[in-house]
Amino acid sequence: MSRKYDTVIGLEIHVALLTESKFLCSCSTEFGAPPNSHCCPICLGLPGSLPAINAKAVEYAVIAGSALNCVINPFSKFDRKNYFYPDLPKAYQITQDAYPICGPGYLDYYVQDKLERTKIVRIHLEEEAGKLIHSGESIIDSEYSLVDYNRAGIPLIEIVTAPDITAPEQARLFLEQLRLVMNYIQVSDTKMEEGSLRCDANISLKPKGSPVLGTKVEIKNLNSFRALERALEFEKERQREVLEQGGQIEQESRTWDERAGKTMTMRSKADAPDYRFFPDPNLPPLNLDPVWIENLKKSLPELPLERLHRLKDQDRLSHYEAAFLVNYPDFGDLFEKVKVTFPEPKAIVNLLMGDYARLAREHGHLNPVRLGELLQLLADEVINKNQGKDILEELFKTEEDSPAEIVEKRGWRMLSDAAQLRKVVEGILADNPDLVGRFRNGENKLFGFFIGQVMRATEGKADPEVVNNLLREELEGGRN
Amino acid sequence: MIDREEVIRIAALARLDLSEEEIEKYQRDLTDFLTACAQLKKVDVSQLRATSHAVTIKPRLRQDRVGPSLKQTDVLSGGADVQDGFFRVPRIVEGQG
Repeated sequence: MSRKYDTVIGLEIHVALLTESKFLCSCSTEFGAPPNSHCCPICLGLPGSLPAINAKAVEYAVIAGSALNCVINPFSKFDRKNYFYPDLPKAYQITQDAYPICGPGYLDYYVQDKLERTKIVRIHLEEEAGKLIHSGESIIDSEYSLVDYNRAGIPLIEIVTAPDITAPEQARLFLEQLRLVMNYIQVSDTKMEEGSLRCDANISLKPKGSPVLGTKVEIKNLNSFRALERALEFEKERQREVLEQGGQIEQESRTWDERAGKTMTMRSKADAPDYRFFPDPNLPPLNLDPVWIENLKKSLPELPLERLHRLKDQDRLSHYEAAFLVNYPDFGDLFEKVKVTFPEPKAIVNLLMGDYARLAREHGHLNPVRLGELLQLLADEVINKNQGKDILEELFKTEEDSPAEIVEKRGWRMLSDAAQLRKVVEGILADNPDLVGRFRNGENKLFGFFIGQVMRATEGKADPEVVNNLLREELEGGRN
Repeated sequence: MIDREEVIRIAALARLDLSEEEIEKYQRDLTDFLTACAQLKKVDVSQLRATSHAVTIKPRLRQDRVGPSLKQTDVLSGGADVQDGFFRVPRIVEGQG
């Protein structure tokens, strides 16, 4: 990347809210139903129908705004945004124009180990559009499209950021953190592949250090975190080339073509639509009770960043360990439960991030009490690490027996009795006089061989530390 | 007087196809309308709170409960072209990338 330009990125994120029924009617929001089977006169905009606002959608918007440190506006209202597009059955979308439900806020997140802040400009409530299935590879080469209005009218919030983001990777990290926050507060399932989290990006370049923003381009159709980052990388390079060749950036919307790995013109500013916003006459403005808003703010759960800092500060975990538990909240929750019976954070996280993570992804999580018991056996040196792994595998098959019972049943208890082990060691040395001689003459690497022999003779049960000490005693005692 | 092109542009936004007489009529009507607005703009409202909505009642919010939807066949009955349970619409965007 050329050092001559600053990259300026702002995002618009659509988050579908996890309500049972739609925003303004009682049709189901369930995903995957037969097309056009969750529609009614209200969400189809048939004459004479009257919308009624879903209280849960308003609540979720306030919770989301609070989690993003936004000003919550008790007064907000709904407007009609008028345009013709096949995914919009009414030919207008009910949204919030001048008076959105949430005002300025921000989200903090890490880029590597540096804490970054991106400002939120506003959050507004609106209805989702229908789903289009294009006959061709993309909208551009489709002769016709099929429309399903099941999604039309599902409540969503649009989160608009300030143009604070300076790199494509940062945009992705911001979006990942935003998704995590939405998951923690449980207002959305944020599945990008099902479209319940979508993102449009605005990007422009400006001469390094210049206070004046360049002409921006909007990129649509970003269906994954990877697509967001790749599309921004592509667009940054495209704009740089245009500028370096003395050209001008045209203000336009471009669509990301995943297959081709490039952005393509969708519509230019010349035919930018005129939305003719006006207040929806059927929906009176919202006047929320400030006490209710305060109570929702107070009832927010622990958010990802708070959790990260708590795990680092109180549990003394590394950034990497803490981030693992934060990014996989099911592991984070399990960690907390194991800690109740076995309060050793480092040991727990080591177990969870190791073989456990792989096995749990395949089979689901284990009972935290069982994990605590296993960790206790390892801590008390009743079993060694390898035996610990075996027991873990065993627990994923059945949790009926406790780790201690498995140890007893299999006779896997670690052999730490020095007198017993000394006999084994003496036997092995007696069987290998040549090797003993060579070791005593300086072939140090043979030490590992003796350890291996003892472990083999004890079926892996010997306490490696005790074996180590005994062998040193016996071998080095007679060294030349 | 508001010009022809403006009337045609506004009509296009609403997908209206106007005849010559209608264009002239709306040039006059819209000009009258805007003149009236210009007069209203002269009134001193600095001491008044802005009216953002004509209705002052509080909205009745609805509980988040699922109710019945229309049958698919009824939903599709208003469509000019349908296929496999979907509405079918002609090409959406013009041009190539």
